[in-house]
Amino acid sequence: MLGGGAAATLSAGYGSRVMSEPIKRIVIAGGGTAGWLSACRLAAWSKAEKRGLTITLVEAPDIPTVGVGEGTWPTMRRTLAEIGIDEADFLRDADAAFKQGSRFDGWVTGQANDSYLHPFTPPPAAPDPRQLLAAWRRQGDQSFATAMTPQPEVAAIHLAPKQRGMPSFAGALNYAYHLDAARFVAMLRSHAVDRLGVTHVADRIASVEGTDTGEIAGLKLGSGMNLPGDLFIDCTGHAAILIKGHCKSDWVDLSSVLFNDRALAVQVPVAARSPIASQTISTAHKAGWLWDIGLPDRRGIGCVYSSEFMTDGEAEQTLSAYIGESIPDAGDVQPRRLIFPTGHRRHFWAGNCLAVGLSSGFAEPLEASAIVLVELSLQALIDNFPADRCAMRIIGRRFNDLFTTRWGRIAEFLKLHYVLSRRAEPYWRAHRERSSFPERLSELLELWKGQAPSSYDFPLAEEIFPAASYQYVYYGMGGTLPPGLPEPAPSLMIQLDQMKQRGRALLASLPSNRSYFDGLCSGAPNGREATA
Amino acid sequence: MTRHAVLTADDHRDLRIRTDSSADLGDAVMSCFTVPLEFRSLQHRFPILFRRNEATGAFSALALLGFEAGENLFLDGDRWDADYKPMALAVQPFLVGRSAGADVPSQIHIDLDHPRIATADDGTLLFDVHGRPTPYLERVSEMLGDLDEGYRSSGRFFAALERYDLIEPFFLDVTLRNGSSHRMVGYHLINEEKLLALEPGAIAELHREGHLLPIFMALASLSSLADLIERKNRAEAHG
Repeated sequence: MLGGGAAATLSAGYGSRVMSEPIKRIVIAGGGTAGWLSACRLAAWSKAEKRGLTITLVEAPDIPTVGVGEGTWPTMRRTLAEIGIDEADFLRDADAAFKQGSRFDGWVTGQANDSYLHPFTPPPAAPDPRQLLAAWRRQGDQSFATAMTPQPEVAAIHLAPKQRGMPSFAGALNYAYHLDAARFVAMLRSHAVDRLGVTHVADRIASVEGTDTGEIAGLKLGSGMNLPGDLFIDCTGHAAILIKGHCKSDWVDLSSVLFNDRALAVQVPVAARSPIASQTISTAHKAGWLWDIGLPDRRGIGCVYSSEFMTDGEAEQTLSAYIGESIPDAGDVQPRRLIFPTGHRRHFWAGNCLAVGLSSGFAEPLEASAIVLVELSLQALIDNFPADRCAMRIIGRRFNDLFTTRWGRIAEFLKLHYVLSRRAEPYWRAHRERSSFPERLSELLELWKGQAPSSYDFPLAEEIFPAASYQYVYYGMGGTLPPGLPEPAPSLMIQLDQMKQRGRALLASLPSNRSYFDGLCSGAPNGREATA
Repeated sequence: MTRHAVLTADDHRDLRIRTDSSADLGDAVMSCFTVPLEFRSLQHRFPILFRRNEATGAFSALALLGFEAGENLFLDGDRWDADYKPMALAVQPFLVGRSAGADVPSQIHIDLDHPRIATADDGTLLFDVHGRPTPYLERVSEMLGDLDEGYRSSGRFFAALERYDLIEPFFLDVTLRNGSSHRMVGYHLINEEKLLALEPGAIAELHREGHLLPIFMALASLSSLADLIERKNRAEAHG
């Protein structure tokens, strides 16, 4: 029997709501990574701050999740801590592994030694980034990243970013995760329902019921039940049932900047005890790129391409050639084909509806921006949670401004990976057509001929990618150095020297990604046999 | 059981050493060997006492870590609860190996049966992929060098103390807050009155030979006895 209280809540009528009425009932539509992360973050926050929110998540029992976004940013450590999930449990339950950055193979020339890393650990702080460049030039023919942090060497030999004794979410180097999205969602779902008091309704959304003012009053479910709410979070993926279907928020298309529109995805099981890569490996091909994400149990591999420059058949050949080369005993694998638009909603927040996840926008997973955008959306919502409908209008407008800027930044940063290439195929040449550059990126590229990417280029308090990320990609791809570099400050040279020493110590003392994970699963405290 | 081997990059390329602290790793000791050149690093935390070898009559120095056998009050479970770990403990499981002749350079030996020998990769490597010592091994090697040099020069230090009759036996009754008491016997320390009464020529000579600084460091270290007793009181209270 359903309890009387719950039944009353779920079937309450819509009525007219007074403007000053507080926002208490949150309805989340859709239960993928975005939906369950939203449920967990909001419920944990409401609990911690005694906000008294009721959070209901409705998901159709038969809709599969897309599950491409298997790479996170370091922000996920804070997110998990806020939600109240222990790191070891997360690693075990989501079949997750440490990610220390993204390696880009073949993006500049496509030749054998063409590879650079965008690590998560930033260069040492320097008031003038030209100092970093000057110090780098003093270090022989090392890559920029290798000169700035020990992380490339640590990641190259598949080491974990932390020792076993280190507490949850703390590392010797900055890190994020690779994870199995389906298992991650299952973990979030049980945490939300069992620990955080989220109500889970397994039903499909039949229709969206509006108010006189065009807001959402409630969701009518397949069973006939009405689900009323004060704030609706659209996590229905590409379907965007609320934000597009009801709120009619336009799509801002970015396909003239970023050409890829299809992907083939496979999951290849890996042998027990095989090394787990510590970085996402992105390998360029003639009309796009391949992702390769190592988890303890499997590798997720995919081929991203532009249908204008490559047929599905060619993409399949590209994918199987890559798998054949990197996992010779993989056997026959059937790829899943995904077709995706690149762009975002003009309004992420419309009325009392906020789009989070794929419903709000999508970009190729080149810098793992999908899950982090979910986290950033939720952080912005929590930091500015509307007290009532009046506040919601103002907050919604500001949210739209912030995320429009953020999407602009994402498009610019992803495009940067293409414009610095020297590859000759038509796809790559098309990417270098000036007309396909976002205007701000054209300006930045002009500036960076004479100065280094710096925080002057990224002046917002809420920048999504720091100047360090641009430095790693720009100089990783052989971007022009500004003329007349200064003498590097002695203090910086000492700092880099200490960093080198620390790097040697880390190489000697960090466990491998694989043994860190296997240690967790053996159940022994800190990964070794307990002594009596 | 000990099984000593000469440390080489070829034989021990993949060997890892546990560098954390715990009783299981051999840290539960009430005192450890030290040498005058380490006194400065020890004196703010660890009482420095002397002991005479019954058989040879020779003195040696030790850092006091507890009041009973097996008690190390600086070991808090699996945590080393101080900003410094005496070298004699920090170099475990390594030791200096020396062949017969005094001119032959010393080697680093390792006790392969020591509990610090890691069985999985939860320890620190001694050599990098090129066979070069890691920073950890470099540090161990420095400490072994210091201990070796310190050991060889400590004979002169104690000879000077004896020459000026500065060493006296010492016992200490420690009464804890719970009423129990421990008597520490068999130790020696520097007689401060005699030291202060030395004529300037003697002081100058001690200074010239480099003994004055460790003498005062050893004297200063006795003020950390109060801290050690407080640690013992806390340990008994939680015991």
